[in-house]
Formats: sequence, C-alpha cells, structure tokens
Amino acid sequence: MKQKHLSFLIPYLLWIILFVIAPLVLILGYSLTDAAGHFTLHNFVLFFSGGTFIKMMLNSFWYALLITFFCLLISYPAAMVLTKLKNQQFWLMLVILPTWINLLLKAYAFIGIFARNGMVNQFLHLFGIGPVPILFTDFAFIFVATYIEIPFMIMPVYNALKEIDPALIRASSDLGASFWQTFRYVIWPLSWPGVESGIQAIFIPSLSLFMLTRLIGGNRVITLGTAVEEYFLTTMNWNMGATIGVILIFLMTIVMILTSGKRHKKEIDL
Amino acid sequence: MRKNSLLGRIYFGLVLVILYLPIFYLVYFSFSSGKSMDHFQHFTWAHYQTLFADHRLLAIFLETLMLALLSSLIATVIGTLGAIAINEMRKPAKQRLYLSLNNILIVSPDVIIGASFLILFTALGFTLGFASVLLSHIAFSVPIVVLMVLPKLKEMDNSLIDAARDLGASGWQVFSKVLIPALTPGIMSGMFMALTYSLDDFAVTFFVTGNGFTTLSVEIYSRARQGIDLEINALSTIIFLFVMLLVGIYYFISKRQGKKAKGVGGLIK
Amino acid sequence: MEIIKLDHITKQYDDGFVALRDINLSIESGKFYSLLGPSGSGKTTILRIIAGFAEPSTGKVYFNGQDITGLDASKRHFNTVFQNYALFPHLNVYENVAFGLKLKRTPEATVREKVKDALHTVRLDGFANREISELSGGQQQRVAIARAIINEPKVLLLDECLSALDKRLRKEMQFELRAIQKKLGITFIFVTHDQEEALAMSDEIFVLNDGQIQQSGSPVAIYDEPVNDFVARFIGDSNILPGEMIKDFEVKFAGKNFECADAGITPGEKVEVVLRPEDLDITAPEKGKVTVQVLSQLFLGDHFEIKATGAGTEWLIHSTNGVKIGQEIGLFFDPEDIHVMRLGETEAEFDARLESYEGDGEGDDE
Repeated sequence: MKQKHLSFLIPYLLWIILFVIAPLVLILGYSLTDAAGHFTLHNFVLFFSGGTFIKMMLNSFWYALLITFFCLLISYPAAMVLTKLKNQQFWLMLVILPTWINLLLKAYAFIGIFARNGMVNQFLHLFGIGPVPILFTDFAFIFVATYIEIPFMIMPVYNALKEIDPALIRASSDLGASFWQTFRYVIWPLSWPGVESGIQAIFIPSLSLFMLTRLIGGNRVITLGTAVEEYFLTTMNWNMGATIGVILIFLMTIVMILTSGKRHKKEIDL
Repeated sequence: MRKNSLLGRIYFGLVLVILYLPIFYLVYFSFSSGKSMDHFQHFTWAHYQTLFADHRLLAIFLETLMLALLSSLIATVIGTLGAIAINEMRKPAKQRLYLSLNNILIVSPDVIIGASFLILFTALGFTLGFASVLLSHIAFSVPIVVLMVLPKLKEMDNSLIDAARDLGASGWQVFSKVLIPALTPGIMSGMFMALTYSLDDFAVTFFVTGNGFTTLSVEIYSRARQGIDLEINALSTIIFLFVMLLVGIYYFISKRQGKKAKGVGGLIK
Repeated sequence: MEIIKLDHITKQYDDGFVALRDINLSIESGKFYSLLGPSGSGKTTILRIIAGFAEPSTGKVYFNGQDITGLDASKRHFNTVFQNYALFPHLNVYENVAFGLKLKRTPEATVREKVKDALHTVRLDGFANREISELSGGQQQRVAIARAIINEPKVLLLDECLSALDKRLRKEMQFELRAIQKKLGITFIFVTHDQEEALAMSDEIFVLNDGQIQQSGSPVAIYDEPVNDFVARFIGDSNILPGEMIKDFEVKFAGKNFECADAGITPGEKVEVVLRPEDLDITAPEKGKVTVQVLSQLFLGDHFEIKATGAGTEWLIHSTNGVKIGQEIGLFFDPEDIHVMRLGETEAEFDARLESYEGDGEGDDE
C-alpha cells in the first residue's frame, strides 16, 4: 500500500516543486540580482527610494480597494434580493452567465460604450452634456473592473445569506429588533464569511488587471500589475519586474492574513 | 419587508441589465455595416462572412478549445491523485503544509504566475509556444481540481473501502471500482473548473506564449488594442450563443437531477 | 385575568392548505398553557400568529383587550423560545442573552445585572463567556430561555423546545420550566406533540387536531373525560369500545350492562366507552367484571403492558404485577373508571351535559 500512495504523490509533488516552489524561488532570485546575475539589493532600493513606485503601489491598493468596495456595495443588496426570489437557481444562472464571456470581449465592448461618440456620450448628449472623455481615464478602469467582478461578489454573499437559519431572523425580531438592527447585528455578521471570500476573490485579481489598464485605462502604467507586465514584456528588465512581483506577493500575504484573522472577543466578568 | 420587495426586484433587474448591456451592445453592432460601435448603420451579415472566411481566427478558436480540453484532462489526473495522496496523510500538520502549497497558485495574482512561469521556462531553456502554454494551464488548474476532489474524499464513507477490501478487492480494484466512482462528482466539477480556467485565461498565457502560438484571448487583446473591429463583435455573438447553449443544457440537467447540492453554483469559476 | 384572546382565527396558506379553522381561545395571565397536537394540527401556526411571525387569514388577536393582529413581532410584549433554540452562533452566551437589552440601548451596568439574573434563573451561572458551539443541548436550551425572559415579556412562547433533548434531560427541563414559570409569574404557552410533557407541566391544555381545538381543560379533566376518541387515543393509552346507553348511569358494552357515572344521554343511543389501561385491575377470573385471556406481555420497568382478548374485543392493561401468557384473568373496574363518549359531541355540548347532571361541577375550578 505504501508504495501505491507514493506513486499517487509523485506527479503531484513534481507539480508542487516545479510550478509552485521553483517559480517562487526564481522570482525571488531575479529580484535580488542585477542583469549580470550578481547579488544586489539595488532593485529594492530603487523601488522604495523613488516616489513613483511607492505612489504606484498605493495607487494599486487604492484602486483595488475601490473596486472591491463598489462590488460589495452593488452586490450585497442584489444577493439579498436574490435570496427572496422564486426560481433562484434561474436568476443565479443569469448572474453567472456573463462570467463565461471572455473578459477581453467585455472590456472590448466598453471601448465602444465609453468612446467619444459611444453610448454613454450619446446619452449625455440628450441632456446637452459632453462629449465627455471617459475612455482612457482611471474612472473607466475602475468601472469596467467593478463590472467584471460583480458576479464574483454576488455568488459568495448569496451562498452565505442562504445559510442563515431563518429562525435567527425571527428570533432577532422577536427580541425587538427593527429591520436595520436585525441587519446590523445578525445578518451582516453572519454573512461576513461570504463577504470575506468575495473580497479575496476580487481584491487580489484586481491587482493584476493589466489588460484593462492597457485597453480601457489609457495604456498608462498605473498599477503594480501593469508595471510587472511592462518590465517583463516591454522593457525586458526582468530583475526590476521580479522585484515588483516579490513586493506584490508580500503585500498580498499581508492582506490575506489581515482578512482571515480571527477577531478576539472581550471577556465579560459578571 | 414585503413593501420593499418591489423595489428590490427593480434593483436586481437593474443589476442584471448592467451585467448584460455590454454583451448585447457587442451583439447589436455585429449586425451593423460600418466600422465603429457608435451608430448603427444598416443591417448586414458581412462581419459574420468575414469571420467564417478568417481561417486564422477559426484555427485559433479550435486550438484554444484543444488546449483547454487537454490541459484540464491532465490537470484532473494529477489533481485527483494529489487529493487522494493528501487525504491519506496521517499527520494534520503535513496535510496543512501541502494544502498551503496547493493554494499558493489559487491566490496569486495572474501577473505573478505569468511572470514567474516565464522565468521558469527561460531558466529551463524551454522554447515558448504551445508546450509552455499547455504546461502553464495544467499548472494553474491542478490546485483547483485538488480543492474540488478533497471534500468528496473527506465526506466519503471509509467503511466503503473496508467493505470492498473485505469482499476481496485488490488495491487496484478498490481504486478503480470504489474510490474513483465515489469521487466522480468532485472530479467532474474539478475538470469543469479547469476547463473554464483555461478558456478564460489571458494574463498567464500572455506571458508564456511567445510568438508561435496564440489563444483566443490573446488574439482578441491584440486586435482590440488596434481599435474597433466588428469581426470581433461577430465572434462575441457566436461565443455568447455557444455559452448560452452550454449553460442552458447544464441548467436543465441539474434541474432534472432534482436540484441537488449547489445547483448552478458549480458554474462559477 | 385574560391577557390574550384569539377571536375566530383561520389560516389558509397560499397553496390552499388550511392550517386553522375557526380558533377561539382565551389565555389568562400567570398560567402555564400547552398547545398539544400531532404534527400538522396547527399548534405551531397558532404560536406563530400569537408571536407575530404569521398573520391570520381572518380573525383577530387581542392583547389586554387591544387588537394586535397586524402588529410587528418586534413590537409585541411576547418572547419566543424557538424549536432549535435559534441562538446567534456569532455571539457568545452573554451577548445572546443581552441581545434584547442592547437593542433598547440599556446602560451597560444594567445589562450586566440583568444578564446575571437571567443566567442565574436558568442555572447557568458562570457560563457568560462560553461560545454557543461549546454548549450541550440542554445548556443551549437554557440560554434560549434566558435570552427570551430578559426583556421581561408578559407571555413566553415555547415552540417544541424540549423535543431535541434526550429523555432524561427532557424530564429534568420539564420540572425546571415549571419552576421558572412559577418564579417569574408570567404566562407560558408551550407547544408540544408530547402528551406526557403537556400533562406534566400545564395548568391548562388545548388539544388540537386538523386545525381545530378538540378539547381544552386541566390535564386531569382532559385525561379523565376525553370528549372524543381522538383525544382519548392521543392522550394516554386507552381501550375504546363500542357501546349503548341503557339509561342514566348504566351503559352496555362487551356484551354486558355496567353501572357508570355518565348521564344525560338518550337511552338506546350508540356511544363509545373509554377505559384507561391502568384503571383495569387484574383479579381472579370469577371476581372480574369481564374475563379475558392473556395474549402477550411487555415489561416496561415501572409496569407491565399486557394485551388480552375476551368479551369480543382486545384489551390493553397496565399492571404492576406480571401474568402468564395464555392465563385466564378477570378484569375489575369501578363505575367512575368508565367514561362514556357520545359520537360527534362537541366540547361545548359535552360541558353543557356535564353541567346538567353534576350541578356545581368539579370541572372548572377557576
């Protein structure tokens, strides 16, 4: 038996070594060397000394935060309504279906919608406004990213809301809670695991939406994800690209630890 | 609550409209003569004719499908074996270690995966092309298969295997006649997820594809960067119809099976 | 003093299912009531209507004479102990119990004082900082009670709340619930399908079936004088035999005429006779009023359950002494042990008839 388990483990172990550990080691190695392969901390010094990288880093996180926040703001009420509908599976399917259309096609649609003579500007024209430049702005990037990520927030929040025992809502109301009090003290905390997985499903990927910044955000390097792509595929400075990547991994780890940390309760002495 | 339900429905409807608006926008202009998505000129099939005459794009379409099928199949095999191996581990600490390693690729941003794989392939002296893309797709699909199969293993009744042994089944018979059939739902949804991961991926592929090989995502990206091309709209319509058909079939099958488990929840990536 | 009144309540669900047909009941303050019935009898629906979780299709709910039919559950002076307790899993014991008070922005010091009292009442001193998941079923039950009584409700509603506990714990909680009710002096309305539970705890029981109140009264009255064979069968074990009224205080069943305690029934009317198994005393064959042959016997710890046949029917007998299978035995019973039921008699008609020949009846002691 022992031998069989080993043979099960081998391909998987090979995968871990080759595609999990080796890439991590390599990217760390690149970040700590110069173009000639000598050890250096120069890349990190460059990152933290120049204002551009720090600003970009803050910018990335600010945008990721905004995207996640708007997704939550739009998705949470939608998920709540969804739990009350008949034929929930059907409506849920309608929410999920757009995620199956390639992301680039949806981004491409917004090139038309946000264009100088596109749908939005035609609409604004009815009120005598515009044309307003929308395409190639940061707003456009945030809007499209939010649009793309909405279903990924609705899903986990919906699942978490569905798991709440309706008797708890009744119990809360029975104890005198208004709708808002029930929401604040019962529904919101109990749906938090869903919100949390929604945040994790959106925040980190939105750091690497370089194709959106290229297509919609006006080809400027405004996020760390775009910077990684820029250094690896355009300027070919892999060492600097790897450095940014390592910093991104580091920040991401912090975010993960922060969002999954258990909150401690205060003890009450009676 | 009841008073709010109409308002709620309107809101939900609005969210759905926004979700579908860009898609229908693409479909609408795929029938417009002209070159932009500004004003509908007049109805035409011209872009569809161009699309079906575009052998390069059709070849890319088929290659993308091939890549997705192949990578998800291989990833499913590796992932299923990995899940079984993890499940057999006695020490919880060891299990946790493997699971954390497993999850690294799931939580990593795509650009990091793409960039680090690019370094890896270069370091190994690998030529970028179909093989590097295939390996990458297998690599990022394996952990999701593990995560889909593992819960099925945990909830599986262990006496099932004991019963099979008791009845005289050999190790291989236990594996093929008991274990795999019991895990089939998990394996299927894992493979399904791997398929969607592969079809949907752009960022990783973009890093490791080189010049020789292109997937649909990469092709759409490079065309979109050059501006509006209504042939892409025609392609979107076809993809949309295709997806509707698939999801529709999935929906009715899952509905006929009696709404068990999570229903269409399994559809999300 | 009447505190709650249900006036001609009916409830029909959207799918056409009729849960309640014309329910009228009156609840007095400070008493322990049980709504007893099989599942689907409508007992939980009544509780939900009183609590405000469901609205009746027709009819009115009154609280202290005021119509509260459309009032939101959060604004009623009742609190509920739910079937599976419905404790908030994200809050600990203290936070669960304090929930109702915190909503009312009660000062922290008062909250602590009251939570301490409530936990003491349910004998959970020192459990304040426990998580709900760390508690046993019985402890969760107590937390649920503490949470419900902290708002000092006028009426506590308990929805099948002992059914998840094992038998011993259930017995223990019966005593305790009764003690808590006595201590607080408020009205308890307890929903259950377990007749033993209802008999043990209640001042008054409403027996429900098929959306209607079959009978209401004290446990003793309901047990001794079931108004129809549903109540007779549902409450306790019974032998129900077809019979015929000969005249007042004489009834014929099992082929013989017997002296009985019932009157006011037309002579010659077909009736049903109820004999409780524990009222049947085993004697020598020649001393019994009927003679039967033992078919089977089960030892149940505190008594034997004996099945016997004779006089054209099958008999269920409870006895502290065992018998031999196949043995001939005599069964003896007093005239008061015989309870005669008219077919299709309603509770009101039954009460009126009782009144007519018992004068200042013993049935109502309020």
